[in-house]
Amino acid sequence: MRRLPLTLVCAALLVGIMASSIAAAPTRLTVWAMGAEAQKIGEMTARFEKANPGIRVTVQAIPWGAAHDKIITAVAGGTGPDVAQMGTTWMAEFGSIGVFEELSRYISKSKSVEKGQFFPGSWGTCVVAGKVYGIPWYVDTRALFYRTDLLAAKGFKQAPRTWDELRAAAAALAVGGGFGMALSTNNYQEFMPFVWQNGGRILDEKGRPAVTEPQFVEALDFYAKLFHDKLAPIDSGGTDLFQEFAKGTMPMYFSGPWMINMTNEQVPEIAGKWSVAVCPAKKTRTSFVGGCNLVVFRDSKNKDAAWRFVEFMSDAGNQLAWFGVSGCLPAAKAAWDAPELAGNPMMAVFREQLDDAQAPENVPQWAQIEAAIQRRVQEACYGKKTAAEAARALEADIKAIR
Amino acid sequence: MKRAKSVPLALVINLLLVIGLVCMAAPFAWMLSTSFKGTKDIFRYPPQWIPSRPTLDNYTKLFRTVNIARPFANTVITAVSITALSLLVCSMAGYAFAKFDFPGKDVLFMGVLGTLMVPGQITMIPVFLLLKKLGLLNSYAGLVLPGIASAFGIFFMRQFIVTLPNELLEAARIDGAGEFFTFNRIVLPLCKPALATLGILNFTGSWNNFLWPLIISTDESMYTLPVAVASLAGQYATEYGLQMAGSVVVIMPIVIFFMLAQQWFMEGIAMTGMKG
Amino acid sequence: MQRRARVAYMFLAPALILMMVFVVVPVVASFVMSLTDFNIRALANWGNARFIGFGNYIRLFGDELFWKALRNTLYFVGIGVPLAVTLSLLLAALLNSPLNRAKSLFRIGYYLPSITETVAIAVVWRWVLNSRYGILKQALEMVGLDSPNWLGDPAWAMPAIIMMAVWKGLGHNALIFLAGLQSIPSTVYEAAQIDGANGWEQFRFVTLPLLAPTTFFVGTMTLIGYLQLFAEPYTLTDGGPLDATLSIVLYMYRHGFKFFNLGYASAMAYVLFGLIFVATLLTMKRKGEEVTFG
Repeated sequence: MRRLPLTLVCAALLVGIMASSIAAAPTRLTVWAMGAEAQKIGEMTARFEKANPGIRVTVQAIPWGAAHDKIITAVAGGTGPDVAQMGTTWMAEFGSIGVFEELSRYISKSKSVEKGQFFPGSWGTCVVAGKVYGIPWYVDTRALFYRTDLLAAKGFKQAPRTWDELRAAAAALAVGGGFGMALSTNNYQEFMPFVWQNGGRILDEKGRPAVTEPQFVEALDFYAKLFHDKLAPIDSGGTDLFQEFAKGTMPMYFSGPWMINMTNEQVPEIAGKWSVAVCPAKKTRTSFVGGCNLVVFRDSKNKDAAWRFVEFMSDAGNQLAWFGVSGCLPAAKAAWDAPELAGNPMMAVFREQLDDAQAPENVPQWAQIEAAIQRRVQEACYGKKTAAEAARALEADIKAIR
Repeated sequence: MKRAKSVPLALVINLLLVIGLVCMAAPFAWMLSTSFKGTKDIFRYPPQWIPSRPTLDNYTKLFRTVNIARPFANTVITAVSITALSLLVCSMAGYAFAKFDFPGKDVLFMGVLGTLMVPGQITMIPVFLLLKKLGLLNSYAGLVLPGIASAFGIFFMRQFIVTLPNELLEAARIDGAGEFFTFNRIVLPLCKPALATLGILNFTGSWNNFLWPLIISTDESMYTLPVAVASLAGQYATEYGLQMAGSVVVIMPIVIFFMLAQQWFMEGIAMTGMKG
Repeated sequence: MQRRARVAYMFLAPALILMMVFVVVPVVASFVMSLTDFNIRALANWGNARFIGFGNYIRLFGDELFWKALRNTLYFVGIGVPLAVTLSLLLAALLNSPLNRAKSLFRIGYYLPSITETVAIAVVWRWVLNSRYGILKQALEMVGLDSPNWLGDPAWAMPAIIMMAVWKGLGHNALIFLAGLQSIPSTVYEAAQIDGANGWEQFRFVTLPLLAPTTFFVGTMTLIGYLQLFAEPYTLTDGGPLDATLSIVLYMYRHGFKFFNLGYASAMAYVLFGLIFVATLLTMKRKGEEVTFG
């Protein structure tokens, strides 16, 4: 009779030990992060682990230069991570070859993640051919940086709000060997907003090139004329934008929020003499939206835990914390209501801009289309082709690529 | 020689040479000078040849933030490995072609010379894919292996070894020396001048190689110096002082190496022209 | 004999194996790849590549940008090679002159650019050529000339690259010419003098013909090297502005390693190979026509 309790105790102990070791075996998540984000993400993963005992997160830092190839290799060899940071322009390229897990069913089951909580342009970058392959993590956009004092001296009490005002301001400022603004002849991120502001696009609903539509051609014509009329420098290689901005030879330019701190550091002498404004409008004030999303790899063995991590990172409170750690702007709208962002007038401009910001069509051959766009736009800016000719050439290019 | 005209002629010749030398040296002087300048002094016209406010900031940043030590080490390891292995492999093959008769010798030699015609870009893509399959991308093996067997090296060593007297080798064989012993103790030591020249050419070529390391390294940890400098120009596009400092680090070691071994360098280059 | 043959094979083995793996097989593989549509899908799984026959070559034929790259490369070669050969011959003649005072110093100084790494020195040249702050601008203004916008003007970008490439190779080629010059025996010059030839005539009718093999060598090596132009435009202009400095190899690199159209890039490599082959044959043919003495 005494043996029975002993056996029972041993059995109970055995079961107990086995159960606790099973329960204690943590789920291991591998997360790939790139660039500066890789350095800082540790703080967020630590918080995640605290909130989710039983999940251990390992971050692998991948330099941007290596990322593309590593992802390709991962597809072939099954050596991919569970979660990865993904640039918005790579979503279609990899999404279309089946690298990422389609997330709709996770989203529908989720209590916290839904499309409406993110900026529409940002959400758009996660959708490839109708399928959702990622969740927005952080964003950036472009706004107009300008010299308040120099504009005021020419009679402009506020930043130009329309294309006509932009031209007028640039013309007024482009005196004495200087230019009205800094602008690039071959950067699609500076050019495309003008197309969108005029209601134009690159591809139509069926995926065919729509660049010969009048909205695109008009925008290209406006853009090219800025160079023809010497309001923007045809070549600004070898100049330092900060110096030129401070000197007043390039008193306006389009760029992102990182320029705020850098301007204060590099040319503190013009503090208080410059500001940011939302892009000037034609039909809309649309700007460019970029940033990074978080994706789950289709070959991941821990998809549920991976989703938990993505959910965690997309929570508005956590996105605000991430902003505090890294300076990366939250993709979740709610995070912007916090005083750190809402209380900063320059940040408020970017907030307003994010409501109307777009990314180019999410197609796998984007790298080649981008190169073609930049090439034809440059030809128009240099006057080698009229806007209409350049648009027709671009149409042929895109047809050949697709 | 015409005595009457020789003084003004000498003046002209030396003047031309000096002007040319200034043109050759100016970019280097500029590079050194700018590497010690801060941004405000770089964006200045007329350009400052001697920095008015010299600073070590660029070098500090280069070694601390950018961590140029790693690409430097990679470049040294790669260059030394390729040079050593290539000297061995090419002299072995050159010895075979120079002092032995065997079936297929002429065909093989023609074949080796034929590969001289093939530009690197042809083999680049398949070798990239092969190394990728083997998991050797972004590794020392990937950087070194493709560069070891060089048709030029084999040809160069063969031409030299052919001139070595056969009697020495015969004598060694009669004494019962093994083939590798003969090669190691008799042939190689006699090849010292050729090995020195080829070694210098290989080392410099490997140090300065850009396209192949660019393609094969996917990770900053495996960058060689040329790739690191290119990456610097992209990432720190507006920090010219930093870029100049990077260029100094890539260029100076070879310049110093050259100064110490210029005799061998010059002879080697001249030799390539004569035997070519 | 048999044993000796086996020994020979043993000594040859490492080099032969390495050459098979890294040269011979890739040359064939590259050609096969050029007949497929190998792209990013195939990179993940080789089986995804489809055989398309000469499709890539046909596409190249109709590729406006490829023709531009070809024209640019031929422009670079057409001006660069004669310029390089002439200037380095001139330099060698000056260095060889007994009236030259500081032979060693000049030899070292002129050779320096040849041993520097191209990207590192191109980064410096980017600044030298700067249209607002560059030292070339300063030098030109010292002699009263205006500096064009070297890297920003499509008409001046390639000349700038030619300038840099010729500057870089000058010492190396001059050294080879110098060796050639020094191998001409003085007796030949003495004989010419006795015949009444002056300095210039000696150069034209004695030096140049006897230097023919060296000239051929320098010219061919420079030609083959220049056809493979890559590092200079990659660093200085990325093929711009307006693709004025886009070279064949740069375009090939873009398609191969930016867009991952590896099949297409392989086809381009073969076209380049064809060009090099034809160019070398042509120069050999010309050499055959040179007159040689002694």
